[in-house]
Amino acid sequence: MLRYICNRLLQLIPILFAISLIVFIIIQLPPGDFLTTYVEQLRLTGTEVADSTIANLKAQYGLDQPLYAQYLLWMKNMILHGDLGTSIQWNMPVSEVIGDRLMLTIIISLISLIVVWAIAIPIGIYSATHQYSFGDYFFSFIGFIGLAVPGFLIALILVYIVFTQTGVSITGLFSPEYQGAPWSWDKVWNMLPRLAIPVVIIGMSGTAGLIRITRGMLLDELSKQYVITARAKGVAEQKLLFKYPVRMAINPLISTIGWTLPALISGEAIVSIVLNLPTTGPVLLKALMVQDMYLAGSFLLILSVLTVCGTLISDILLAALDPRIRFGGVNR
Amino acid sequence: MKKITPYLLAVSLMLVTVLTACESTGVNTPVSDSEVVKPADSAQPADQPVQAQGNTADYKQSPFLDGKGLPPVQDRLPKEPKLTNELPKDALDYQIGTYGGTLRTVRTDVISDSDLFIIENEPLVNTPGVLGEEITPNVVQSYQVSDDQQVFTFMLREGLRWSDGKPVTIDDVKFAVEDVLFNKELTPTLPLWLVSSSDETGKPFTFEVVDEHTFKISFDKPYGGFLIQLAVQGWKGYTDFLKPKHYLQQFHVKYTPLAELEPLIKSAGFQPGEWVNLFVSKDVLNNEITQPKAVGFPVLSPYIQVKAGDVIEFERNPYYFKVDSAGNQLPYIDKLQSTLVQNIEMVNLKILAGEVDHSYEFISIPKVPLLKENEQKGGYKVYINNLHRTANDIHLNLTYNDPVWRKVVRDVRFREALNLGLDKNEIVDTVFYGFAKPSEIESIEHNVEKANQILDEIGLKKGADGLRLGPDGNVFTIPFEISSANSDYIVLAQLVAEQWKQLGLDVTLKQIDGALWTTRNKANELKATIAFTPGPVQWARTEWGQNTWAPLWDQWWNSGGKLGEEPPQEAKDLFQAIFALRELSLEEALVKRNDIRTKIGDQYWYFIHSEDIAAPVAVNARIGNISDKGWGIAQNFAGEQWFFNK
Repeated sequence: MLRYICNRLLQLIPILFAISLIVFIIIQLPPGDFLTTYVEQLRLTGTEVADSTIANLKAQYGLDQPLYAQYLLWMKNMILHGDLGTSIQWNMPVSEVIGDRLMLTIIISLISLIVVWAIAIPIGIYSATHQYSFGDYFFSFIGFIGLAVPGFLIALILVYIVFTQTGVSITGLFSPEYQGAPWSWDKVWNMLPRLAIPVVIIGMSGTAGLIRITRGMLLDELSKQYVITARAKGVAEQKLLFKYPVRMAINPLISTIGWTLPALISGEAIVSIVLNLPTTGPVLLKALMVQDMYLAGSFLLILSVLTVCGTLISDILLAALDPRIRFGGVNR
Repeated sequence: MKKITPYLLAVSLMLVTVLTACESTGVNTPVSDSEVVKPADSAQPADQPVQAQGNTADYKQSPFLDGKGLPPVQDRLPKEPKLTNELPKDALDYQIGTYGGTLRTVRTDVISDSDLFIIENEPLVNTPGVLGEEITPNVVQSYQVSDDQQVFTFMLREGLRWSDGKPVTIDDVKFAVEDVLFNKELTPTLPLWLVSSSDETGKPFTFEVVDEHTFKISFDKPYGGFLIQLAVQGWKGYTDFLKPKHYLQQFHVKYTPLAELEPLIKSAGFQPGEWVNLFVSKDVLNNEITQPKAVGFPVLSPYIQVKAGDVIEFERNPYYFKVDSAGNQLPYIDKLQSTLVQNIEMVNLKILAGEVDHSYEFISIPKVPLLKENEQKGGYKVYINNLHRTANDIHLNLTYNDPVWRKVVRDVRFREALNLGLDKNEIVDTVFYGFAKPSEIESIEHNVEKANQILDEIGLKKGADGLRLGPDGNVFTIPFEISSANSDYIVLAQLVAEQWKQLGLDVTLKQIDGALWTTRNKANELKATIAFTPGPVQWARTEWGQNTWAPLWDQWWNSGGKLGEEPPQEAKDLFQAIFALRELSLEEALVKRNDIRTKIGDQYWYFIHSEDIAAPVAVNARIGNISDKGWGIAQNFAGEQWFFNK
């Protein structure tokens, strides 16, 4: 097992290298560079920028270097100093830009994930064991709505309703006095109630999907012979349910952790934009739009690392949970 | 100065009695050709701040600064503070404000907030209302223009201080000019506006220090437009000619040996020897005032940045050089706070919820009804000011590299027909919801029949499918490529396409990314597009869209004939007229401006459909000294005059 994990970790190196290269090239593909966008913005507001100022900025950000030199510099600093580079757009080190946001994003994502599982799995089990009952239909109906309506639309409607009813704009994660304040318990308390809305919205489609998956898988399992055998042998219904079919039914949850992690982090982008959350999604979007290559590149790299790690974790968990997988290789 | 003192005292007494009715708009007579000394506030003694002479103990400061261990306010102010005059009298009935409060703005860009930039910007000389019709000293105490419009002498304010309390001296000017502008490494090419003419005969300005408060900028040719360049063109600030030497010299190789700079260069992440990059990353230009590097940088602007990040915070500059006519040191409002939001709709929501005190750039005309409806609830007010430029004008590239295209669009009759085909009233109603008027620079006649007749006459016959054919027998197409940077553009383009289709023309429409637009524009690859031009309204500017409707001619002109293509005589005449504005004094330039408008009207170089476009701005209803007269941007310039009514 340990060897397997080590092997997988070593495989990460070439994969991440390839990803970083592709990411860097793709970000640079659109015409122009960050400064073209910057100068265009200033031009739109009527601000004149002298040619020599532009030349100076180009040199300052290393944009006058050829593409490969920019890439090598980025890689060198990252590997040797752990320095992700400087975000041109923010005029700050990338790590500072991402730091707080990444933490908030992970908090939101993890809470969402837990909420999703906590809601979806019991409902899925209920729906499967009470197939075609009123409760099943009810949850299926809700589930389909959650699946079909995009999160950002629900967010918009929610924002609208709250604003027209109370006159408050429910945006952001903190009330104004805590924005940009250093972390403290007060700040955390201030954040928690405001977390509810994004967590519910981000989790909504995931919950709906998961209910359907759990229900489907469980229905499959329930009609299998081992269940019938166990039931014939007189195993108590509750024990039977949770000991065998449910364990089978939640397999897909674990095997999808790999792409759940990055999806939660980048998938909340639109919801975050609508709800004005200080998370990573909007920053990534903006960085890509203005070709802030070090910021966007570092971001995508982090997402890649998460995906690859997630896949690894899910593989390990699956092996641990599912004897069929664990013993799969031994028979050979 | 001495001889007007008794006069002043009398006026001061009078001012005390009619304090509340005080006007503060400094009305200086327009610059005349003769050698006129214009000490800041002596041209109109009535505008002299109370007790500027003699007893200076009457200056007042914000309670915010009390108990901060600062020197008394009169020691922080220059000997003769600037009496604020950002808006002309007819645009604003100035009220003496009260101190306090925080002005909240929002921005969608991570490090730039145009509301704050304009509030903060302080040019060397200013032009009330940003009108360009008169020029008054601002950061400088006074200025002088030689009879031949070649020599400009500026006198610094005695006792003027940077925001860290260090005095502003002639050394700061010398540093900015000799060590930055004239340093080939820091400034490889001098900006065109600092050169005596825009063609190849233009020579850089010469700089001379007269005494410890006075310096001279001279050109080898008349350059009467230099002052307007300093005052308003491209929103220039003082940073070209004034830099805090005491701070910046530690990053300049002339004052700090390279060996000492190396550790700094290294920690800033640059390669060894790149002191230029270090300097550029430390220096803060006027348009960089909201960037993180501006924290702690000595400035002359009303506010200093104290915190960068998602929420940018500014506090009042205790050494700010402006006062009102009651002797209150400006600004009135103590703090500024700019919050980053993720998109423009969020800005609107925050305004509706009363969480924004001032927003200029993000309010579009279609949003006005919604904002007006919620004014009461949100505690704000929507002011409808004028825009300082014509909006999105329509450009056909006369120098696009295709003989057939050129033959057609260079025919003035073709352009006349297209102008006849434009229903400017419909444009005003549809694009601007009536908050504009059809522009009369070019004829506002809308006559499809006549337009069709002209097109028939010049030989653009209709083909079998009803579309007009070019001289080569193929369908003549006008392919609009519109930058997605501005949402108005696409609405206008759709409308124009429909209107020109009525003439039997094939008009297509494509929206492209802003950066791609710029690249294609520079490469002369756009055939038809939409872009704005400040020229017709803000007359003092040299941008009349010529780099969009004729990029190659523009290149030819700017390079003195080395690049691009030589324009025909009519175009040369127009360019001549535009660039002559540089040389002329203010009054002459005002007359000349009408010439240029006529020239455009005769030749339809590009299509100007609307004028007097509204620039709505949402402002906290409690803020005073804001009006709905004049230009929106000028109101914004006057940020230091705003105050919160109790």
